Amino acid sequence: MEGAGASALAPAVRLTGVTKRYGPVVACAGVDLELLPGEVHGILGENGAGKSTLMKILIGLVQPDEGTVELGGREVVIHDPQTAAELGIGMVHQHLSLVEALTVWENVLLGDASKFDRSAARRQVMETADHYGLEIDPDRRVGELSAGLRQRVELIKCLRRDPKILILDEPTSVLTPAESEQLFTTLRDVVAAEQRAVALVSHKLAEILHATDCITIMRQGRVVERSRTVEATAPALAKAMVGRDVSLRTSAAAFGAIDLIDQGTAADQALRAERDEAAAAVAASDRAARPVVLTIDRARLVRDGVTVLDDLSIEVRAGEIVGIAGVEGNGQRELGDLLSSLVTLDGGSVSVNGTTARTGRAGCMADLGIGVIPEDRHDSGCVLDMSVAENLMLDRIDSTARMGLIDRKRMRARAVELMREFDIQAAGPDAPFGSLSGGNQQRVVLARELGHRPTVLVAAQPTRGLDVGAIEYMSNRLRAAADSGIAVLLISTELEEILALSNRIVVLSRGRAIGELDRREATSERLGLLLGGVGIDEPTGASA
Amino acid sequence: MIGMIGMMGVVLASAASAVGDVLTSEAMYQSAMRFAIVLGFAAVGEWIAERAGTLNISIEAMMIGGAYSSAVAWGAFDNVPIALAIGVVAGVVVSLVQAHLSHQLSIDQFVVGLTLNLFVLGLALFLDSRWEAVTSVVKPTKVPLLHDIPLVGEALFGQPWPMYLIVPIVPLAWWLVFRTRWGLEIRSVGDNPQSADVSGIHVNRRRREAIMVAGACAGLGGGVLVLGQISIAGYEAGHVGLKGIIAIAAVIFGGWTLRGTLIGCVLFGYFFALQQTLPVLGYRINAQLAASLPYIVALLVTAVFATRTRQPRALAQPFVRGLT
Repeated sequence: MEGAGASALAPAVRLTGVTKRYGPVVACAGVDLELLPGEVHGILGENGAGKSTLMKILIGLVQPDEGTVELGGREVVIHDPQTAAELGIGMVHQHLSLVEALTVWENVLLGDASKFDRSAARRQVMETADHYGLEIDPDRRVGELSAGLRQRVELIKCLRRDPKILILDEPTSVLTPAESEQLFTTLRDVVAAEQRAVALVSHKLAEILHATDCITIMRQGRVVERSRTVEATAPALAKAMVGRDVSLRTSAAAFGAIDLIDQGTAADQALRAERDEAAAAVAASDRAARPVVLTIDRARLVRDGVTVLDDLSIEVRAGEIVGIAGVEGNGQRELGDLLSSLVTLDGGSVSVNGTTARTGRAGCMADLGIGVIPEDRHDSGCVLDMSVAENLMLDRIDSTARMGLIDRKRMRARAVELMREFDIQAAGPDAPFGSLSGGNQQRVVLARELGHRPTVLVAAQPTRGLDVGAIEYMSNRLRAAADSGIAVLLISTELEEILALSNRIVVLSRGRAIGELDRREATSERLGLLLGGVGIDEPTGASA
Repeated sequence: MIGMIGMMGVVLASAASAVGDVLTSEAMYQSAMRFAIVLGFAAVGEWIAERAGTLNISIEAMMIGGAYSSAVAWGAFDNVPIALAIGVVAGVVVSLVQAHLSHQLSIDQFVVGLTLNLFVLGLALFLDSRWEAVTSVVKPTKVPLLHDIPLVGEALFGQPWPMYLIVPIVPLAWWLVFRTRWGLEIRSVGDNPQSADVSGIHVNRRRREAIMVAGACAGLGGGVLVLGQISIAGYEAGHVGLKGIIAIAAVIFGGWTLRGTLIGCVLFGYFFALQQTLPVLGYRINAQLAASLPYIVALLVTAVFATRTRQPRALAQPFVRGLT
């Protein structure tokens, strides 16, 4: 043990020259990083910048190829999460580490080495919860909890082990603004009062600026900049992170950092906004004259006794983007499933240009000209083991086949065409889909759906997990799709994304459309009220 | 399919006319209880393996291994506890193969299971042709007074003693799964192995352990089958006769709950007993049809009860770290 003065300065964690390769891809290239006790250290970077890999190394899920990890000045090797826990490293995972079938206290106990004692465990959960002001019922099943409450459980699970180092990986991706705010308040306590070292991994500029003491920016596996948060500005961070100037309006909207950036050029922005507004008004009246393409009429869907779509009616006209806003778990997923031909309605109908779909039959929506960018591209958007070309042609293999045999030459040629048109970065049409970055994978899905010339395009959380460049690209593509006359239905839980793209906004709550606003009358406040009108903390039976 | 339903109709009709006789037949209760108990050993083990995420079809092989080894050991040592213990060991040996191939070398669990089922069946046949296992059946232990209860007295209180091993094993299994850390971890790896992994649990190790528990239970079940079951002297080909597979059906029938699984065992035990008892009671039904009765019921039952909502969410899904 060193002297008190020295240990206050000594980093809790020091990574030196950490390198990790996945085949030819270098995820981390000689990264140096120090986490100090009593500080929230923001780690900022686009997707694929290497920040998640770095954290996985700390938590023992990934072994570095080179470099050393020191804890409190002592070099350690972290074989697995168990070792990490013993060394006092705790992590709140992006895709939480909870088991839905277990209760809160069972989850908190999971992976522990302590004695298995139900009443003691429940008491401890409640004590920890009390201590940090994270109220929770220890006997609830985690599967019944909302995203915000689940993260609360995750945090309690982590803090109960009294970690010296706490890692949060994209902690707010599923939280409402209020829940995020509460999380950061708790973090402040944890850091200030208990001298823990916190690493906050995020690609949201706003929350990095709001919640951290110092910032490390990563790009392509390298640390490109370090700064104290007080000296940092959003545009500078964005630029360092992306490595080029991005259209700040688009990216800022996607980041949720629009307030921060707008301050500098308020007058300019106001002027532009006014111009936009005038143009939008003209465009809106123009759009209103266009025919309704997609009609969802009193759609009703009951799953496991819970009404997840409740007389939901939505109309989308040709050439407009209708945004479906709402707190996650209010029927968005079911709406996406419905339009992907995955579920059979219990009532109501879906029709395109007057033709009604026989819901639930495989391909019924695609036959009507509905293209879908699904919420989870890994789960339902593509086949990871197949090549890029195969994924591009997956749902219309007929067009490249002769008498039931695939014409590979034609398939490849068509794929190359699409790859060029949509700027898909891959080794070639035969590259395995799994080797592509997230943004490029999403482009493949987009290219496939748009390559169809659909009449309706459904985009469910199209930018989730993407980096700034990819978000900008996706946004532009969606706008272009609408301009070409496609009816676009945008389902997103990112309010900023909805505001940035939609012409009309429908707010979903408990599977019901509880409000419909024109973009011009939709302020964050009005939307916020609609969202909040249903109690944000305990939404919907959809997740139960 | 229609033919099968027709057959079922005939069976049910004749069964209906026989209901009175069956319900008043002491032998029927006794036989059903024996089958149910033998199924119970395997089903309890299978239940644990499935809660940990393995659809362990080699439970059949584990039972065969236990049955043959117990029979041989009984012939060699003339000592029931030793014979049963050797049956348990044989079940565990088979389970070690299943566990390590499927949850260490990451070979598809069904491929391993199918191969093991055929291999162990063949092996037991081969060995049986060399060392024929001769057994006599363990005499029933009659609990004083209680076994005199009409109808069910013999079934519940007049069985050979190895049958009663099920009595401590069921609560023990429940306690293991729901009241110990090991059980908590078993349930977590069966439901969400990724989460369990990042929580610091060795997913595949837990799954292997669960399979070994299944092996021990099934091996014991096999032993009880040959030592306490029916008056067949020695191990015979087809003695286990897919009872392991029926045990899997019982777990599915029970909706992956222990109580439901045991009810499933009684249900299937009843149909096994029917096949044996009806001819004795003087009812003539097609022998092949009678023999296939439990399996037809199992098919129907699994078709109705195998719903995804109730099963462990990661059932039959291999775990590889980093695949999220």
